[in-house]
Amino acid sequence: MRTVTANDGRMLARIIHLAHRFGCTYTKVAAQHTGADYRMEFAFAGPGDALRRLDAQITKLLDDDRETMG
Amino acid sequence: MHTRTGAAIVLDTLESLGVDTVFGYPGGAIMPLYDALYDHRIVHVLVRHEAAAVFAASGFARSTGRPGVCIATSGPGATNLITGIVDAMLDNVPLVALTGQVRSTVMGTDAFQEVDVAAITHQVTKRNVVVRSVDQIEPALRAAFRLATSSRPGPVLVDLPTDVLRAFEEARAGAAAEPAATRERPRADAQSLDAAVAALQRAQRPVLIVGGGTRWSGATEIFRSLAARIGAPIASTLHGLGCADPGDPAYIGMLGMHGWKRANLAVQSADVLVALGMRFDDRVTGDPAKFAPNAHTIVHADIDAAEFDKVVHAHVKLHGDLRETLVALDHRLARVTLPSFEEWRAQACAPHEQLPRDDARDGHLSATDFLDALFAALPEDAIVSTDVGQHQMWAAQRVRASHPQHFLTSGGLGSMGFGLPAAIGAQMAHPGRTVVAIVGDGGFQMSMAELATLRRHELPVKIVLLDNRNLGMVRQWQELFYNARYSATALPDNPEFTTIARAYGIEARLVDHAEASAPSIKRMLQSPGPMLLHCACYPHENVWPIIPSGKSVDDLMETIPA
Repeated sequence: MRTVTANDGRMLARIIHLAHRFGCTYTKVAAQHTGADYRMEFAFAGPGDALRRLDAQITKLLDDDRETMG
Repeated sequence: MHTRTGAAIVLDTLESLGVDTVFGYPGGAIMPLYDALYDHRIVHVLVRHEAAAVFAASGFARSTGRPGVCIATSGPGATNLITGIVDAMLDNVPLVALTGQVRSTVMGTDAFQEVDVAAITHQVTKRNVVVRSVDQIEPALRAAFRLATSSRPGPVLVDLPTDVLRAFEEARAGAAAEPAATRERPRADAQSLDAAVAALQRAQRPVLIVGGGTRWSGATEIFRSLAARIGAPIASTLHGLGCADPGDPAYIGMLGMHGWKRANLAVQSADVLVALGMRFDDRVTGDPAKFAPNAHTIVHADIDAAEFDKVVHAHVKLHGDLRETLVALDHRLARVTLPSFEEWRAQACAPHEQLPRDDARDGHLSATDFLDALFAALPEDAIVSTDVGQHQMWAAQRVRASHPQHFLTSGGLGSMGFGLPAAIGAQMAHPGRTVVAIVGDGGFQMSMAELATLRRHELPVKIVLLDNRNLGMVRQWQELFYNARYSATALPDNPEFTTIARAYGIEARLVDHAEASAPSIKRMLQSPGPMLLHCACYPHENVWPIIPSGKSVDDLMETIPA
């Protein structure tokens, strides 16, 4: 299970697309708009190496997301 | 109280961010921005297809290190940018794409030229945004430029509905620009730096691999200094070309599928590999399981932690801005004694190695001979762009770029049609420099309408068209790996390219035999304006060596198997 907070709610879709790309499936997806940002929970299943790479990519995406875009 | 339109705010903000040149193509939804451009100081380069706008912006960025800016209208204008946006994403090019959008009130109604470009590009940009109100324009653009250049650079798209561009905002007279919100940059930790030093102290056969991250972090100078201190052989990725001094006797050339044999063999023999700002692309590693099998320690330095262990496991990970990492490494290495790698370097550098080439040319001009003559004649600060295919690899094998911003090529995506517009972008950024676009007959025909852009803006770009009347790289693979079944790769019906160039008002010359090469190159380089050299080349010349896709250096081929 990974819980993330993002400014951009579309991050949900982007992460799911990435999971598909890496050959992973998601066993749980939940999102909530908390006012200032979005809180998302994911649980993925898949090959260990793919899950590790997915996790690294999500971290990178969230770093970029911290730049507010107006 | 002054009021500005959203379009004026866009241009004022761009200007305040240091933008002096943009590349674009107008259309309905983006018309307010073009109206504002009409009498603005920012120079707009009108291309003939939006794909050229984004590639030109990329060429501008690759040759300067500054973000390139391209503009297109909504719908087809925006979708025509996408290949170039992906290209920038894969090659880490800082790019800001501005797209027009239908007015806010009709978004989502399938209005004329409406497309959800934000959704389409979401996966292939660092970030994108649809600007919903005029007061969001400036912060969105400032954030876009920060993001495009921060950490690992890449493209950002800003979608601008036409009503937002037309809306008025009360100007904040004298308002100070918001301070840039900078993210904390990662820095390689001391323990990992010490581990890297220790690995080099234990090494017997180390190899340095320099990648494109070196150019984007501005680390060329410190890399060269560090490399001299270590004294190990240096190999380069495609995007690392120019980072190492090509005259350095330790430099062993480009690595990978079409790299120098000595570079690939050195990596295979290395006991310590130091990979700097590179991502172990499959064109570099071939079969990752067989890559660098003797390396007991792989040191990998990169700004992007997601690159670690993605393809090749690194024993030492240096996560941080590469320039800062190399400075820190250099400080540490200055305090220790490294073994002498002289003997290993002499063995790895194989100074007399020649690139294998096809000799049987039936009296035709050889593309590789022509490129050898061209590179010998170019001034040291010339900027060379390439398209994609055989000519690209021949050029990459031979180019002696003295700086990474001197060689511009589409590496990750391999986008045909890149070469000429990228040269346009580079020439706009460097009006006094020699800029040469080396293109093939396939790729040139994807962007040759940009001859009009050369003429319009009086850009003295030199075009070297290596015409083998084939989609040469695919033809080569068909010859080697598909039983010579030449499916859809012959181009016997190519047009008369010199006539086409002249129709655009551009000087052109046909080169169809070896003796004409040197005088034609001389004439081209002396020409004050744009010029096309149409080189009618031997159609079956191949790129050697080649490591077949997914194979290892053990499978390296230097000629067609008997």
